[in-house]
Amino acid sequence: MIGAIVRKEIREIARDGRFRVAAITVLVLLVAALAVGWRAAASAHAERDAAANLARSHWVNQPAKNPHSAAHYGVYAFKPKTPLSFVDDGVDPYTGVLAYLEAHVQNDFTHRPAADGTALSRFGALTAAGVLQVLVPLLIVVLAAGTIAGEREQGTLRQLLSVGVRSRDLAIGKMLGLGGALMLLLIPATIIGVAALLVGTDGSGSGSRFLLLAAVYLGYFIVWIALSFAVSAWAPSTRAALICLLGLWMVNSLLAPRAATDLVRRLHPTPTALEFQRVMAAEQQADSTGRTYAQYQEAFQREVLSRYRVDSVADLPVNFAGLSLDASERWSDAVFDRNYGRLWATYVRQDQARSLFGFAFPFVAVRALSQGLAGTDFYHHREFATAAEQYRRHLVRVMNDDLAEHGKTAGFQYMGDHALWSSVEPFEYQTPEVGFVMAHHGRDLAALGGWLVLGLGLALVGARRVRV
Amino acid sequence: MLEAINLTKSYNGTVALHPLTLTVRPGEIFCLLGANGAGKTTTINLFLNFVEPSGGVARIDGIVASERPLETKRLLAYIPEQVTLYRHLSGLENLEYFSVLGGQSRYSEAELLGFLDHVGLDAAAARRRVGSYSKGMRQKVGIAIAIAKKAKALLLDEPTSGLDPKASNEFSTLLGLLSDQGVAVLMATHDLFRAKESGHRLGIMKQGRLVSTVAANEIGHADLEQLYLQHMRD
Repeated sequence: MIGAIVRKEIREIARDGRFRVAAITVLVLLVAALAVGWRAAASAHAERDAAANLARSHWVNQPAKNPHSAAHYGVYAFKPKTPLSFVDDGVDPYTGVLAYLEAHVQNDFTHRPAADGTALSRFGALTAAGVLQVLVPLLIVVLAAGTIAGEREQGTLRQLLSVGVRSRDLAIGKMLGLGGALMLLLIPATIIGVAALLVGTDGSGSGSRFLLLAAVYLGYFIVWIALSFAVSAWAPSTRAALICLLGLWMVNSLLAPRAATDLVRRLHPTPTALEFQRVMAAEQQADSTGRTYAQYQEAFQREVLSRYRVDSVADLPVNFAGLSLDASERWSDAVFDRNYGRLWATYVRQDQARSLFGFAFPFVAVRALSQGLAGTDFYHHREFATAAEQYRRHLVRVMNDDLAEHGKTAGFQYMGDHALWSSVEPFEYQTPEVGFVMAHHGRDLAALGGWLVLGLGLALVGARRVRV
Repeated sequence: MLEAINLTKSYNGTVALHPLTLTVRPGEIFCLLGANGAGKTTTINLFLNFVEPSGGVARIDGIVASERPLETKRLLAYIPEQVTLYRHLSGLENLEYFSVLGGQSRYSEAELLGFLDHVGLDAAAARRRVGSYSKGMRQKVGIAIAIAKKAKALLLDEPTSGLDPKASNEFSTLLGLLSDQGVAVLMATHDLFRAKESGHRLGIMKQGRLVSTVAANEIGHADLEQLYLQHMRD
């Protein structure tokens, strides 16, 4: 019986001119968004590969110079475009793609794609995620508002209920039918998505992420289908159901995300860039115990002399400047760790507060999961930034160690060469496994699961209330 | 087959149906006559369990409708004043859909076309979308649904209202065929002529009460009209 209801629903919806127009519009937008996103991702991927190779070439081919000068010359870390970023570019446009890695300084990321946008960018970019998160639910709402209320208005519900159809079968059949009709546009989009993943981008290892992303969106659509069915079963008319569902859609998709963002910012404010830099500059002068940088270096010198059992720097078997520079790095690294640690912790608190909104508004949970699975959320950015910073410290340490080891006699006249530059392996970054996403978005997953249970429960309760 | 035993219905203290006791036997066509609000549709809705009775029981083939509605609905077919079908589906597809939901899932397309042909819809019409059907054609699909469902009882609520005389006559003929097959028919109607022509027994309802019952073959058209008007005036 359920199969018959599903077939009839799909057949009827597919023959409805309104569905055809709406579905084709959404499909065109979805395919266009995927194509634009794929092209941008593929092009960014190629550009960053080329730029990274060039930067590496500049590093290894730099002329002979003092290793510490080379550390100041620095290298660039290019944030890779994740394979699924063509579906959801997440926070990437706002976080920057390039980090300049040099001695003494943990630089911010630069080259934010959003900064290159024109005034028209304020209207928002067309992304596949936007279509899936906002437009597909709108299509569901429009299609499903009359699923029961419309049958009641047209009189077919009387005919339907008179034949002895079980309310549970009716609910399941209607919802599967709506889902089936949606698949008419989502399956082609998914095939295009898979093709895009396989062609032009390095999609290796993204299979599980893609499957989970598809499952998340499927779950989100089921939530909307179930809620729409429930509202339609309760509503006295299609018009009332549509108004109610459009209200829900508007609050969920347009108002709640903005309200959530503003609220968590107020709850857990982040310092301005100026304030952040001012605090770090102050901490470079003295630590929290009041110890100044000069006192730190004096203590370090005493410790080195004691370690080597000598009385003066001149008696050391190594270049003290190299050791001192390394100590200087550790001093500033501690400052960076404290300040960036506080900043990251604030972002985490913001995200945790944000994730609570997912229990009230499924859009908030789905958006976070989508960005997480696409590898374009805050956590992925932090992971990359941390990896880049670790590489910076490693590179600077290699330079300072070399200076300390080989610069005893020549001092700052000591020159490193191609062999030294090449001894520092190029920066390589591997996007974390899918478990990383689950570890950071467990609450969002729970929220979406909760909405699934609630939606389906309401749909089944609504089905029991279906009356002529 | 169809039994109402002290069946009553009240809405917020207003009695829509006073205790009604009525039996429609297999093969019998019982026509309920009466003005709007007389309780005819309420009676049918109680057999369909669209509303819960305030008292008494409605039974179909011995099963109480309010206790086991899914089972009783499997035994029934229902044709309202306007047979509402899915306009984007053809007559054939509508028949197939309602047949499956009614528990008959083994019909081939040829058999379904046969049912429609039996009620006067040829294959070309059967394959057209219902959106283009006249009311008479939709009523015929309704009858085909009842035939395909192999219903033991048929509930009709003003089924010939708005039909032209020819279509109305064809409808009565089809009812006769169902009656011959042993289907118990309870039909609410304003149409005294059609009731007299089609029915075996006629009941006149007024303000929720069954005030008179006569055998159709024991009363002429004029006398039936007289009796009806007399009850309406009282």
